[in-house]
Amino acid sequence: MQSEPLDPGLRKPWNFVLLYKYLVLGFVTLLIIAPLITTALGGFKSAADLRTNPFGLPTVWHWNQYTDILLGIDYWRYMGNSMLISAISVFVTLLCSTLAAFTFAHVKFFGKEFIVGYLMVGLLFPVATAILPLFVKVRDMGLLNTYWGVILPTSAFSLGMSILLMRNMFEKLPRELLSAALVDGCGYIRFFWHITLPLSRPILATVGIIAFVASWNQYVLPLILLNSEERYPWPLGIMEYQGEFTTDWHLILAFVTLTVIPAIVVFLATQKYIVAGLTAGAVKG
Amino acid sequence: MATVEITNIEKYYGGYHALNDINVDIADGEFVVLVGPSGCGKSTLLQMIAGLETITGGELRIGGDVVNYLPPKQRDIAMVFQNYALYPHMTVGQNMGFSLRIRRDPADEIKAKVERAAKILNLDQLLDRFPRELSGGQRQRVAMGRAIVREPQVFLFDEPLSNLDAKLRLSMRTEIKELHQRLKTTTIYVTHDQDEAMTMADRIVVMNTGVVSQIGAPLDLYDRPANTFVAGFIGSPAMNFMDGTIQGGKFQAANGSSWALPSDAKVTEGQRCTFGVRPEFVEAGGDVAAKVIVTEPTGSETQIVADMGGEHFTCLFNERIAAQPGDTLKIGADPEKCHVFDIETGLRL
Ligand SMILES: Nc1ncnc2c1ncn2[C@@H]1O[C@H](COP(=O)(O)OP(=O)(O)O)[C@@H](O)[C@H]1O
Ligand SMILES: [Mg+2]
Repeated sequence: MQSEPLDPGLRKPWNFVLLYKYLVLGFVTLLIIAPLITTALGGFKSAADLRTNPFGLPTVWHWNQYTDILLGIDYWRYMGNSMLISAISVFVTLLCSTLAAFTFAHVKFFGKEFIVGYLMVGLLFPVATAILPLFVKVRDMGLLNTYWGVILPTSAFSLGMSILLMRNMFEKLPRELLSAALVDGCGYIRFFWHITLPLSRPILATVGIIAFVASWNQYVLPLILLNSEERYPWPLGIMEYQGEFTTDWHLILAFVTLTVIPAIVVFLATQKYIVAGLTAGAVKG
Repeated sequence: MATVEITNIEKYYGGYHALNDINVDIADGEFVVLVGPSGCGKSTLLQMIAGLETITGGELRIGGDVVNYLPPKQRDIAMVFQNYALYPHMTVGQNMGFSLRIRRDPADEIKAKVERAAKILNLDQLLDRFPRELSGGQRQRVAMGRAIVREPQVFLFDEPLSNLDAKLRLSMRTEIKELHQRLKTTTIYVTHDQDEAMTMADRIVVMNTGVVSQIGAPLDLYDRPANTFVAGFIGSPAMNFMDGTIQGGKFQAANGSSWALPSDAKVTEGQRCTFGVRPEFVEAGGDVAAKVIVTEPTGSETQIVADMGGEHFTCLFNERIAAQPGDTLKIGADPEKCHVFDIETGLRL
């Protein structure tokens, strides 16, 4: 049977809303993509070309600027350092914040709210304010110019936000899951391992990405705490192209473009876990 | 299998006295239902038996051993929750086998036990599904499966059927009853539905605001309720109550009606009391007049709500009664099936 054509008055506003959504999304996408593309294209230009024609296509495509970076040893060393520092920072952040958040979510003890509040206050302080005391502490611990000297403060700065997010997630898990697990023979540790962690994959991925990006892009901490070039992460590596009198912007653009790639790979690898509805079916909704 | 002895159990939540001197002895293999209105402390008591709530005072024994301070995993109990509480990231099979896995049973043994339980509960086709892919009734059965694979000493159920629709509720009731007859495991079952309690229980514990009101077999509670609370709670539609005094060996209600007393009632002339008549024991053709307000025929029965001196009075007749609103009915009741309670304490006289 032929169905009745829908009332045009009902369909039109819907199409309009969709159009509006696409327009807004397109605009936002453009805002994000345009600088990325400009950067990537800039890496192909000569210094002179970049100055006269910053936004257009390169007049001559200088592929060698990319291949030189990729074939040189410095790029890989900076990448390796950044990767190592970021990966361990993420691991330390996740380890500490899941354990702390679980304790805060499930164990009642004296002074809990105070400790949580103390951690949250940490969110208010930017890294810059802590630089001097941090430098002194790290020096006293003998960790200056070591990877750990950067990793530990980086993780510490991620902890406040991570614990906040995870504690919310853990508290949202149905309480009856804990009861069921306790009756099924778990203690708190097994419950954490077998139930809480698998159900928290979305938040673990989210927190992991936030911590990774923060650590991947950080400049100030390694600048202060590292002094040998062998341990520099990539944001410090860029300085190599910054001469005393001139800055090779076209090379910097090519370098920056190449450093974005690992971050994108990490994002793509983890984003599949950031799916809602993992807890669906636990209890009757 | 085991006995459960609850002796002088108390529970305080801060200053709030949630349970007051609870005493229940449950025999090995018995099916006991805790029933009472919402908020009376049934779940609290069950959680204390499970070890999920601390016990403020008194003694709890399972299988003869005091377990007050044992964690849930050492009490050898299994519990079915109102919201099922299935692990969302595990399949049906993994959900059911989880406790055995935690116990480190051999894998093939776990598999065999899960399959056997699945067969009993008709879940064998669903073992690889996730909870989100199941209907409410199936989730409920998985929750039960998770309990029975353990072969625990005691089953605890907390309103397991209240999330199901009416029809499914009736069939699951039968399934749980059958399961109990087959496994003969001591079972404590919590519900707020007196009908569920009456049909399933070997013995019912009626609770009211933190105290045990009466304990007894379903029909004993129905025939000889110890107080007005139990009398009004057990039986549907609820018992009619009238206040009045004893005059000339009869009960003279304030609403003007007069009723013969049951022969075992211990009352004295002039005593003020509450008189109870169950709607289903009201007979047509007595000397009490009642004015019909509404008639609700169901086919097999006729329920009539009538006005008696300004109070509502419910009657349930087994035959079809052609009464119209406004008509006056003449009714009565077998005095042996009526109940007299103290007007102050509400206790049976
Ligand atoms: N964790 C708690 N803290 C404080 N009061 C509680 C807590 N749990 C239950 N209560 C109170 O105890 C009483 C009994 O609760 P509950 O056992 O859940 O009742 P039921 O299961 O019979 O409906 C209720 O008044 C409830 O508000
Ligand atoms: Mg309850």
